[in-house]
Amino acid sequence: MSKKKQAAGTNLLYQLIAEARTYDDVIVMGRGDPDFDTPAHIVAAAKQAMIHHQADVPPAAGLPALREAIAARVKRVNNIDVDPASEVVVTNGGQEALFLMVLATLGAGDELIVPEPNYNTYADSLAFAGGVKVAVQTGHEEDFRADPAAVRAAITEKTRALLLVSPNNPAANVISPADMRALLNIAIEHDLMILADDIYDLFVYDDFVHTSPASLPGGKERSLTLNALSKAYSMTGWRLGWIVGPADLMARVAELKAAISGGTSIISQHAGIAALTGPQDAVEMMAAAYARRRRLVLDALDEMGMQYGLPQGGQFVFANIAFTGMDSAEVAQRILSEQHVLAYPGSAFSKERKDYLRMTFLQPEEQLVEGLRRMKLAMAGI
Amino acid sequence: MASQSKANILASHAANAGLKIPLPAISMRNARDLGADEPFHPLDERIIAGAVEALESGQTHYVDVPGIAPLREAIAKHLNAACGSNWQSDNILVTAGMQEARFLTIQMIGAQYAHIAVPAVAHPGVQKALGVRRRQVVSLPTEAARGYLPSLDAIAAALKNGCRLLYLESPSRLSGAVYTQSQVARIAELLAQHDAAAIWDQGLARWVDGDCHSLAAQAAESTAAIGEAWHGFGLGSWLVGSIAAPTEWIAPMQSQKQIMAICTSTASQYAALAASEIVGETHEQRLAQMRRQRAAAVAMASGLGLETLPGAANNLLALQADASLRGRLAEAGIDFAAGEDFGAPDIVRLNIGAATAAAIEALG
Repeated sequence: MSKKKQAAGTNLLYQLIAEARTYDDVIVMGRGDPDFDTPAHIVAAAKQAMIHHQADVPPAAGLPALREAIAARVKRVNNIDVDPASEVVVTNGGQEALFLMVLATLGAGDELIVPEPNYNTYADSLAFAGGVKVAVQTGHEEDFRADPAAVRAAITEKTRALLLVSPNNPAANVISPADMRALLNIAIEHDLMILADDIYDLFVYDDFVHTSPASLPGGKERSLTLNALSKAYSMTGWRLGWIVGPADLMARVAELKAAISGGTSIISQHAGIAALTGPQDAVEMMAAAYARRRRLVLDALDEMGMQYGLPQGGQFVFANIAFTGMDSAEVAQRILSEQHVLAYPGSAFSKERKDYLRMTFLQPEEQLVEGLRRMKLAMAGI
Repeated sequence: MASQSKANILASHAANAGLKIPLPAISMRNARDLGADEPFHPLDERIIAGAVEALESGQTHYVDVPGIAPLREAIAKHLNAACGSNWQSDNILVTAGMQEARFLTIQMIGAQYAHIAVPAVAHPGVQKALGVRRRQVVSLPTEAARGYLPSLDAIAAALKNGCRLLYLESPSRLSGAVYTQSQVARIAELLAQHDAAAIWDQGLARWVDGDCHSLAAQAAESTAAIGEAWHGFGLGSWLVGSIAAPTEWIAPMQSQKQIMAICTSTASQYAALAASEIVGETHEQRLAQMRRQRAAAVAMASGLGLETLPGAANNLLALQADASLRGRLAEAGIDFAAGEDFGAPDIVRLNIGAATAAAIEALG
């Protein structure tokens, strides 16, 4: 077996990214990195911080002014009330937030219920903690909806927490308000913690509505909620995210944060203040662009006769490629090698998803059109 | 209804003493803050220009997990020149500061060994990193008279008893004491003899007069060297550190870095890259100034009957100071690093700077 075929999960994705870099004409529809650069006023604020705030030494939990801005943001967008002094921890991006949430709540042998497909790093983080993933499978036929009854059926005496990523990565499902209430009630009934990932909360399409579990009665005291500036403000390289939750659990998160990385870049934190408190028109512009691109991608997939779960939010579409009769890793490799288009294989997200590809909307429309044209050629050759 | 699950999490947390040790501030907040890990130094305009140019040219996106290629190359080159090692770019992993370097090495190299031997007195970040996912720890005894460096006998005993991974600081993060060249050579021999490995914190080496005597120069295949990029250059709160290690060790740490952070801040990396081009420019001058200030502080302390610890790093000074003496520092409005957080009660660590003399005076 070739080395390429041996890679799996995150390593498979990085192997594909590395190959993609070798093609001058590559069209990247894989990685969740927006094509827009960070808005200029945020870069300008960072520059000012370099000059005027060099001596700032923030606590590991983050600059007080940033935590206040985050508290205001989660109140405004998510309807979650938090005390900035004790219920907010700033992190090195959403990824560190994710890692910290898992470490803070789960230990060896503890079970985390994960509606699948889901972001592969949750499984990696859970493995580090010694926990066990209990998958609840969903299908594109139901737009990857996690049925609360299926979640309830997966609970065992070792279940400690429930992962709710909405909008989901890679499946782009948005948990409806009714389902969120039902899932929270299950968590309360079985005394489970909730790990909520809201990173795509500003990107919700059509009439779908994002709901944070911590905003519902009984939700906040058992929920840790993460978010980051990477996707909404096109700030992936700045590594700035956060977790909010009840003060007693956040004390644990803060100590873990100090143990893992000690703090977060002072410049990124000042940039984050500018992002959260400054003009929001760039966010609105990007959201409108993603909505247009989503329509464009879905039209192309319809034309190819591909099935998918409707992306209700987020920046992806998770399309079924079972008709090819090939494993998604092979299909992704073929599309990349033959047509220089990078899409992520579903098998990198879980072994049950070898019939899917994840494609992003994170390229200019002309690039997406060209990428989809090439993808169609590759598919025709299979 | 109260959550039993949450109560269990909090109970488990309460029992984890390692996580509760406070860390010193990353860098000095003001002239009287002598307890931070890094002395304050104003940023050179060229560092700011390097970071701004990168940001304004669109370097605001994810970069490679192990770090941007030119920075990895610069770090390898710097370490090789300063410490006699022979690292290449693919031996370097850029981290989000020194604590992430500690965490990744302790947890990921540590995962390959049954035990890890750690000095009884070391930077509190070591105990914190160990506390995240507990490892079997062998404590290496230390003494104030040796600047809290474990003796070669203690290291040999740990290896003889089956421990195959060491964590060592040289210079000590508390006292600034260093192993001599012959001692480093002996540690390398012991590693080879026992097929063992070491994590070697050499972050303060740039403040030592003369060569830094890195274990990586003598035992490259079995050493991971960690440190800040660049210590004392005004980049403390930008959080850039590095791990230099054999490539087979870099691979699992890189995977873990991806899992927990994806990459290190782009702006910070470009700032560190700009700093790499000027890092040696004023170093001798600063080192000479610190050497003079430290010597004066030691003489002053001696004159006041205060006991200083042996140390070779010119950026800090450790002294014996019981609770009443430490109270005087607090009364004088001077911050210090408490030895008890490192495992050494009745010791204070002071940065060398403009206020060091005032601190000694307060203690005396």
